[in-house]
Amino acid sequence: MTTSIDTAPGGARTARTGTARRVFSLICALALLVLAVLASVMFGSKPTPFGDVWDVLRGDADTYVTTVVESRYPRTALGVLAGVTLAVAGTLMQGMTRNPLADPGLLGINAGASAGVVTATAYLGVSGQAATVWWALPGALLAGLVLHAVGSAGGGGSVVRLVLAGAVVSAVLAAYIQAVTLSKPRVFDSYRYWVVGALGGRDWDVLWSVLPFAAVGFVLALLLAPALNALALGDESASSLGANPALVRTAGLVSATLLCAAATAAVGPIAFVGLAVPHVARTLAGVDFRAQVVFSAVLGPSLLLLADVVGRVLLRPQELMVGVVTAFVGAPALLYAVRRMRGAA
Amino acid sequence: MTPLERTAASGPRGVVTLGSRVALPVHGRQLLVGAVVVLLTAVASVATLSLGELGIALADLPSAVTGGADGADAFVVERLRGPRLVVALGTGAALGLSGALFQSVTRNPLGSPDVIGLASGAGAGAAVVALMMPGEVPVSLGALVGAVAAMVLVYVSTGSGFRNPGRLVVAGIGVAAMATAFTQYVVYAVERDKATALTAYVNGSLAARSWDDAATIGVVLLVVVPLALLLGRRVEIGEMGDELAGVLGAEPQRTRVSAVVLSIVLSAGAVAVAGPIAFISLTAPQIARRLTRGTGAHLALATLTGALLLVLADLVAQQSPIDDGLPVGIYTMAIGGVYLGWLLTREWRRGSL
Repeated sequence: MTTSIDTAPGGARTARTGTARRVFSLICALALLVLAVLASVMFGSKPTPFGDVWDVLRGDADTYVTTVVESRYPRTALGVLAGVTLAVAGTLMQGMTRNPLADPGLLGINAGASAGVVTATAYLGVSGQAATVWWALPGALLAGLVLHAVGSAGGGGSVVRLVLAGAVVSAVLAAYIQAVTLSKPRVFDSYRYWVVGALGGRDWDVLWSVLPFAAVGFVLALLLAPALNALALGDESASSLGANPALVRTAGLVSATLLCAAATAAVGPIAFVGLAVPHVARTLAGVDFRAQVVFSAVLGPSLLLLADVVGRVLLRPQELMVGVVTAFVGAPALLYAVRRMRGAA
Repeated sequence: MTPLERTAASGPRGVVTLGSRVALPVHGRQLLVGAVVVLLTAVASVATLSLGELGIALADLPSAVTGGADGADAFVVERLRGPRLVVALGTGAALGLSGALFQSVTRNPLGSPDVIGLASGAGAGAAVVALMMPGEVPVSLGALVGAVAAMVLVYVSTGSGFRNPGRLVVAGIGVAAMATAFTQYVVYAVERDKATALTAYVNGSLAARSWDDAATIGVVLLVVVPLALLLGRRVEIGEMGDELAGVLGAEPQRTRVSAVVLSIVLSAGAVAVAGPIAFISLTAPQIARRLTRGTGAHLALATLTGALLLVLADLVAQQSPIDDGLPVGIYTMAIGGVYLGWLLTREWRRGSL
């Protein structure tokens, strides 16, 4: 095989044991997700034992406990949504660019989306969380296009080139975002945590406003998965297999933009979920992108929710933004990927 | 001194000799560029002291600087802008020299302390010491420990040391992300919701610097700059490649280690007083190199250019019409980021990176 994607360990197994292994892995991943959701509902500034949560779910807990537990529902739901979108966007981008280091946060797409939101809030008087996703979209798209322009200057993008271009885009946008938020502190009072990436302090409206965008992006990613399999063999082989690389990349850009804009509008720019999760998904699911997308969609929210729980427990009664936790636990995934990079790259 | 005449009389072209022991190579263009950079720095410094509401009138400036001021002017010179200006000069110089050393060792413009996570690591170390154990340990020591830890982490995770530029840069981005997250954690844990405190620790700021800070960076420069200048010749020879450098007696391995150590100390000192200000150590050596149109590390010129860049950036930060409270690190990140993008696109078009 001449794919640039890591094959699953012990690739020479029969299809049947491979499938069995994958199903087993998927069941384990789903169990992890259930645990992560439970942990997200149980932990906080006031930890709630599992028994109390169970009572709330059955509807016979006292009002106080019910309020505490139910206040954690929206953030848990947002964590699931953001985890799915970021991880799937990462898988998609890694497949499209054939670059194992592609990540919506690292490449500056999330920074573009948040720059769009910040601009609209500061200068266009857009208020209300529901409208912001419309501004995140052009921001993410623009960042993606700039990234493409810088990263492909002089033809042929290498693995490192794209990451560097992303670092440049992120740095400039981060400076812009900080300048705007710092010079208009009143406007951004409620955005303080969002700027770093946080699940807390948002309500169901946010979820409903971004859900359609996330859903369309996710379906598009699923539809693109077979074409990504062809693309992994190289552009020429993909063409001869009937996939149109340019079309796949354009559709992929649209899908990634939708996913990243939805995630960023909902919870802020969060990096490294889209980098780390696809690597784990690839190890478990093998080279098939259809399976990778499914695994990413299950593992992404688990990672994000567990990171959020850590952030809630670490500084109790204060909270540490989930974006800080994911950067700290996700960056080692980048270091690990660097060690595995072959050649000069 | 009339170096040119003496050169013509007593030695080969382009060399100034002092007695029979010392011979310093001098290039006309480098001297000229150096003089222009110093002049521009002086102009920017004067502007820093005299512009704006609290500025000192140009006519009063000479006496104010020499200690003859009273009232408001004295306050501005001795407390507000004087120390800030001196810290900007010193920090900029340290960052410029640090970048020149590291870029020369890695033979790569991107192998610069602010790109490969050194500055962020130092920033995290400084934040831990300054916020969690204030007064117990000097901040500069924390910055040094953080910088060394970041470099060890980068060195180990590339799997090939500092040799492979691609891996170096990506590992640096990862380590920088971790260090920044750690800094955020420390600031949130101690300072809670103070957005200005956070941005100063993450981006670097020159607001409210004292003479103590100026003394810190001054001591660092006093110790490191002579050593760096002694090493300069070897560093430049090292750029010819290890084999040739070895034949010429430049001991490439030892030179590299010394240069990295000096660079780390300089960056840590700069970060200890001003925070991880982005992209000065990346851009100063590059600008110096382009101004002289030469090859080589241009350590002295990179040092001067670094000082000029940071004083200019801080002048913009202080007099900005948008918001005069923004930390200087935000300006350097925006401008330096655009410059880096331009640099990368150009080098990639040429296929030289």
